[in-house]
Amino acid sequence: MTDNARFSATLFAALAIAWLLSGDRFLDAVFEMMDLGQLDDIVIAGVVILEEGKASLGLPDIFSALRGAIHGALGL
Amino acid sequence: MVFPTLDFVLFFAVVLALNGLVWRSAPWRKAMLIAASYTFYAAWDIRFCGLMAGVSAVAWLGGLNRSPIARAVSIAALIATLGVFKYFNFFMLTFAQLFSSLGLERDLQWASIILPVGISFYIFQAVSYVMDAHRGHIEPRRNPTDVFLYISFFPQLVAGPIVRAAHFLPQIDKPTAPDANARALAVALILMGLFKKMVVANYISVLLVDPAFALPDGQNTLTAIAATLGYAVQIYCDFSGYSDIAIGVALLLGYRFVRNFNQPYRADSLRNFWQRWHISLSTWIRDYLYIPLGGNRGGPRRQNVTVIVTMTLAGLWHGAGWNFLIWGFLHGAGIAAERGMRGAGIRLPRALAVLAVFTFVCLLWIPFRAADFAETTDFFTALVSFDGFAPVELSATVWGLIGIGLAMNWLPLSLLSTAEIALARLPASLQAAVLAVGIWLMFAAAQEGVAPFIYFQF
Repeated sequence: MTDNARFSATLFAALAIAWLLSGDRFLDAVFEMMDLGQLDDIVIAGVVILEEGKASLGLPDIFSALRGAIHGALGL
Repeated sequence: MVFPTLDFVLFFAVVLALNGLVWRSAPWRKAMLIAASYTFYAAWDIRFCGLMAGVSAVAWLGGLNRSPIARAVSIAALIATLGVFKYFNFFMLTFAQLFSSLGLERDLQWASIILPVGISFYIFQAVSYVMDAHRGHIEPRRNPTDVFLYISFFPQLVAGPIVRAAHFLPQIDKPTAPDANARALAVALILMGLFKKMVVANYISVLLVDPAFALPDGQNTLTAIAATLGYAVQIYCDFSGYSDIAIGVALLLGYRFVRNFNQPYRADSLRNFWQRWHISLSTWIRDYLYIPLGGNRGGPRRQNVTVIVTMTLAGLWHGAGWNFLIWGFLHGAGIAAERGMRGAGIRLPRALAVLAVFTFVCLLWIPFRAADFAETTDFFTALVSFDGFAPVELSATVWGLIGIGLAMNWLPLSLLSTAEIALARLPASLQAAVLAVGIWLMFAAAQEGVAPFIYFQF
């Protein structure tokens, strides 16, 4: 595996971890994304299944906690 | 699709992976990048993809045919396209007002057209391609996909940097696989660009600039000065942030763009400011407008007229309105005045020159930001009004953001180099982890919603 492939693979892994630890953020973002027409229903159905699977793991929403801490500390 | 969104993060992750898969095959690599670029553009409005393809076709044909007539026709077609989309609504509004003044009310709303995002930037690239081909600076491409990719390449598509064909076309044939140093620079640029845009520019806009310009006659001297400084910081962080991200994203795909901003508020003359601000547009204006209009030919008076006309046209490019005309004219007049001072042997100490240029540039951002001439005059009145009835609250956060924005113009560039060197020493997977964590932090610090980049409207 080349360095650039490792770089890409790590980004994908990080994206998955970010999704796992970000509560409903990704689901909200998917609803705000561009309209994909007939593909939309399939994408949203897939995302909802993944989100339900994630919810069953009971992982903490670290993103919201981090966001609250940053905004509270900086007065944003 | 704008950079600081989850849409783009997902889109880019897929493109980066595909780029690695098709890296060794030039035709597939080009086809993939064209498809990705048109997908990126279609996210705004799929109809505009046809326009971009048409512009690319005109540039390709105009470059292939060496006759002066072909060049003139293709340049005229490109400029006319830009003119129609940028100024059609202005002329329709003027006609409607004219009819109204004659007692002939006409609703011409049906005739309004939408300005396609980024049209100026890709048409400027198309014009430079045709001109450079005819000037012999580049060998025109027979393969249309090369020109289509050059015009549409998504990192720089909607707000620059304006990439020259001579610089980009050789990279299409043979991109450079990012090494540790290139990845480090890309990570540093993307994170810095996101910070500038998502944190500094967006918050300063919401907390200070937008409310102050929404009610200029309610401001006092202090809040008007703060809002003027705030807008100088906002537009710098917004625009240079976009460029930083664009350069970083392209670098990860194996393409190098030239630097577009170089701490512009450190400039000690207006000429120097334009050598540091949106460098790719400044050099485009120099090469394809200023020099054809006469450039440095003729005596001082002729040169001054040329620079004033050039800057006024550059102002009008931003939009059909008195504000942009005044902004461009005064920048041109300022450069001409500087030449006069240099000719008379008048030189200010550097610190004083930097302060004078910064003040002049900041004051001219007021008409640039204001919605119209009346708002501009209201804002200038507020600058000398000690008793505004509804001044914006100047919190510690607001001053902190202004301070950070200005510091980015003053801190030595060696600090960025130090960060790059440290990043370059990390293994590739850790570099990616730094990028991912950094993006996550920026999203956590950012406001809710998507704030478009200022230069998208141009």
